[in-house]
Amino acid sequence: MRWSRVRAVAKKEMLELRRDPVLLRVIVVLPVAMLLLFGYAVNFNLKHIPLAVWDRAHDRISRALVRELEKDGKFDVVYRATGEAELKRLIDRQEARVGLELPPKMLEELRAGRGVRLRALVDGSDPTFAFQVQVGLQKAAGRLNARLIAARMLAGEAQPLPLTLETELLYNPGGDTAAFMVPGIVGIVITQIAVILTGLAIVREKETRMLEALIATPVRPGELVSGKVLPYLAIAFADTLLVLWVGHTVFAVPMRGNPALLLLLVFLFVLGSLAVGIVVSTRSRTQIQAVFATLIYYLPSIFLSGLFFPIEGMPRALQLFTYLIPLRYFLDAARGIMLRGAGLDTLYVPFAALALFTGLVLLLATLSFRKRLL
Amino acid sequence: MSAGQVPVTVTGLERRFGRLLAVAGVSFEVYEGEVFGLLGPNGAGKTTLVRMLSGVLAPSGGDARVAGFSVAYEAERVKERIGYATQEASVYPFLTVRENLEFRAALYLEGRAVAAAVDDALARFGLEEAALQRAGELSGGWRQRLSLAQALVHRPPVAFLDEPTTGLDPLARRTVWDLVYAEAERGMSAVVTTHYMDEAERCHRVGLVYRGRLVALGAPGELKEAARKSYRFYRLPAGAAVRRDLGGMVDAWRRGGVLRIVLEPGAPIPEGATEEEPTMEDVFVLKIREEDRRALV
Repeated sequence: MRWSRVRAVAKKEMLELRRDPVLLRVIVVLPVAMLLLFGYAVNFNLKHIPLAVWDRAHDRISRALVRELEKDGKFDVVYRATGEAELKRLIDRQEARVGLELPPKMLEELRAGRGVRLRALVDGSDPTFAFQVQVGLQKAAGRLNARLIAARMLAGEAQPLPLTLETELLYNPGGDTAAFMVPGIVGIVITQIAVILTGLAIVREKETRMLEALIATPVRPGELVSGKVLPYLAIAFADTLLVLWVGHTVFAVPMRGNPALLLLLVFLFVLGSLAVGIVVSTRSRTQIQAVFATLIYYLPSIFLSGLFFPIEGMPRALQLFTYLIPLRYFLDAARGIMLRGAGLDTLYVPFAALALFTGLVLLLATLSFRKRLL
Repeated sequence: MSAGQVPVTVTGLERRFGRLLAVAGVSFEVYEGEVFGLLGPNGAGKTTLVRMLSGVLAPSGGDARVAGFSVAYEAERVKERIGYATQEASVYPFLTVRENLEFRAALYLEGRAVAAAVDDALARFGLEEAALQRAGELSGGWRQRLSLAQALVHRPPVAFLDEPTTGLDPLARRTVWDLVYAEAERGMSAVVTTHYMDEAERCHRVGLVYRGRLVALGAPGELKEAARKSYRFYRLPAGAAVRRDLGGMVDAWRRGGVLRIVLEPGAPIPEGATEEEPTMEDVFVLKIREEDRRALV
């Protein structure tokens, strides 16, 4: 292996990347765009849900409940309805997403020691949304309950509730989606840059008939592959830092663990992904083929890695399949390091799995590249 | 390569692709400073032959020694000593002329030798003014010139140039040949493939490839001389007509209002016919006819 040849290939690759306007955009704009998109748009923590209230009580209790609903910005009362039909119509037209019926004489009922039933109409077409609404309504009702009970206890009229649940969120107290997404975006960006760009890098030489000219030179397969891979290794690292920095400054994503450990993780994952890219490119003849081949790898990675959907919610067979997806281990470890401040002592399983994956694919990449050159 | 050694010696070289015999036992030699033309129709096996000689493709049988090494067993040693220009000009469009040359040179040379070789190649191939231009912006002729400069940037003793003039206008073609000859005068041996008849005349010697076999070999003058021994070539004025079944006629075709006919020696000569010299095209067409006849028998 002659270092000067590796350097020549790497330098040429960098020049091509720098001058190709499309590739440049893919490298710089795509990661940041994805981060902003996922950080802002894919927000599982809903706010300002439009609420229509049909208040039949018009007393202190009903007013206190409405104040409680609006308190943390979860709901905005946009309509005062005057009947159930109107509530339903508002939801039909999507002018409100939730309709809440407050029964008459709430104060009197409570004074008489009877319970009050509130009725909420929720658009259930999006289960995630409906679930969030239920939680929000229960929280508001719960807060009011607590105040009412406290007031009665002071008056010596009642006992405290036998059971109350208080959930404390660890590591991500705000339930903030961005904190949860940023490690995932690092994973996606690495997969994209490493697999797709590397995949294209070698097929491009093939498609432009450049590979034949290169094979006729004394350059060794190892030199060619190293020279091709080095720039992407650097780019993937730079992109990782870029995403982490934007995540930190824009979304205040924490970095609780050891940054060096995270970089080691990134290195392992990048190397494995680059190797996947090489395998793809040695088996494809055209860039289109390479793109489709990488999609076959990329899409299951995104959907089955636990990035958007919890693995626990998948059918058993699919859950087993997720063990084959390297992004899963990367996410486990990256979230562990960044959000929990975990170290190798608890993360050795994903690290070992990722190292095994990387080793195997690198071996495969070297073997498949040799074959093609002969 | 030591002095007095023959730069290219091909012995019984063969290549199969499945059941197809693309190159069938070809043997020839190329001498120092010689421009050797491989002439043949598309699909004759020229490119396969050149790929084997440059170590890109492993032969299925036979061998060739190129610059002192075997292409079958020492392909990597061969690659260090040759220049190979592929059929389509292989240049990186986003890189400048200079950067393209630097990249190629760095695969053979190290350190300061790279810059020196690049400067030298820019001068030899008249590319100095285009040095900073992107290769993607070059016209076909200039791109071919760059492709040639890339293949020869490290001054190899042997070069394989696969159809370096295909698609170029006559002026650009002439330039390419001048550049190849300038290198040959410095001692480089070149194997150049082409399907242009007139280009064959520019070579020191020509090998005619047809259906994977070398069907004729020699200097263009020799080949024409040999053709004149077997056939007679005549021209008939415009408007003249000959019967298709004229005894002893081998071939007849119109060329710019003139009828050209090829006769076997001793055949009756039509009235008004003027004898002509054979061209490389005659040599080519007649050889191929002979081969086709032989294949039928």
